[in-house]
Amino acid sequence: MTVRAVESWTLQPLTDYVHEAGARLVLLMTPAGQVLAQFGFTRAVDVMAAAALGAAIMATTTELARQLGQPPFAALNHQGQRHGIFLSGLTTGRGALVVLAVYDLDVSSLGLVQLFFEQLVTDLRAGSPREGVPKQVLAADFERELNESLSTLFGR
Amino acid sequence: MSLVNFTAREITCKIVYYGPGRSGKTTNLHYVYGRVPESRRGRMVSLATQTDRTLFFDFLPIDLGQISGFTTRFQLYTVPGQVYYNATRRLVLQGADGVVFVADSQARQLDENIESLQNLQANLLDHGVDIRGMPLVLQYNKQDLPRELILTSADLDDALNFRSLPSFPADALHGVGVFETLKSISEQVLKRLSQGTTA
Repeated sequence: MTVRAVESWTLQPLTDYVHEAGARLVLLMTPAGQVLAQFGFTRAVDVMAAAALGAAIMATTTELARQLGQPPFAALNHQGQRHGIFLSGLTTGRGALVVLAVYDLDVSSLGLVQLFFEQLVTDLRAGSPREGVPKQVLAADFERELNESLSTLFGR
Repeated sequence: MSLVNFTAREITCKIVYYGPGRSGKTTNLHYVYGRVPESRRGRMVSLATQTDRTLFFDFLPIDLGQISGFTTRFQLYTVPGQVYYNATRRLVLQGADGVVFVADSQARQLDENIESLQNLQANLLDHGVDIRGMPLVLQYNKQDLPRELILTSADLDDALNFRSLPSFPADALHGVGVFETLKSISEQVLKRLSQGTTA
């Protein structure tokens, strides 16, 4: 299975969590749905769809909690016939993050996924950097490459 | 906010198509989905009502390829345009790197366009973002309708485009202006990245 981390400090905690909790798919993302690390997906664009949906669920329940005048819900669980989905937020030095875990009911359980989630939170907090100042990324003359890429995409 | 992976040299940016109900936001994404090769796009996710009106958002990830040595991906979102769904509209705006405002060119929709633009400003402010600092492009959709029903791009610029932002006449159903709009917002978003700033 593919384990991939955009930010390397997330890799070991995520790998440990997958191993201990027996999760099938795991995403670690920002509340806006940007993926920091993932386990189990093959195509980057499929990861994005799952992250967008997970972030949307999280944003919705957080807003509902706000309207009820209470702190955000700690976690959310949906249980199907074969798979379960566990979704929870956490705060680290990197900022607020969201974890989406999918588990097979014949391999793992909500109890296991929840139990080791606490350890995941501890590990992520211990390893997270402080939010940094944005660095310059692209060369100033990126426009030509952007135009070529978009023209290719649209077949022009 | 753009996510940059310096190790794997990847950039992911979030672009939100905003505007009043039935202005053509989802149509823009459908056109992009239809034109971009399957290998360069993900699934289009639509959270819609039974009558196909956007309930939460549409979502389409596209892979632009290599730009300045970075694999660059854009996540395109739409918001629900109907007034009723403002709470979800505000949620979708969270973390946006750029906004495409899709206006309905029909003369009778002018008030809805203005309200929606004001609503965009208010919802961005709720996220602590000043609209003046956000990459923003205007698209005047439905310019293919009979002339007596629509306002010209110049009229719409007068009514909506106070800051002389890039604006494009469009017929999103047939793809006119869709590419130009996406290109313009992409340039603005990446320009901010190249300057080392984010929304």
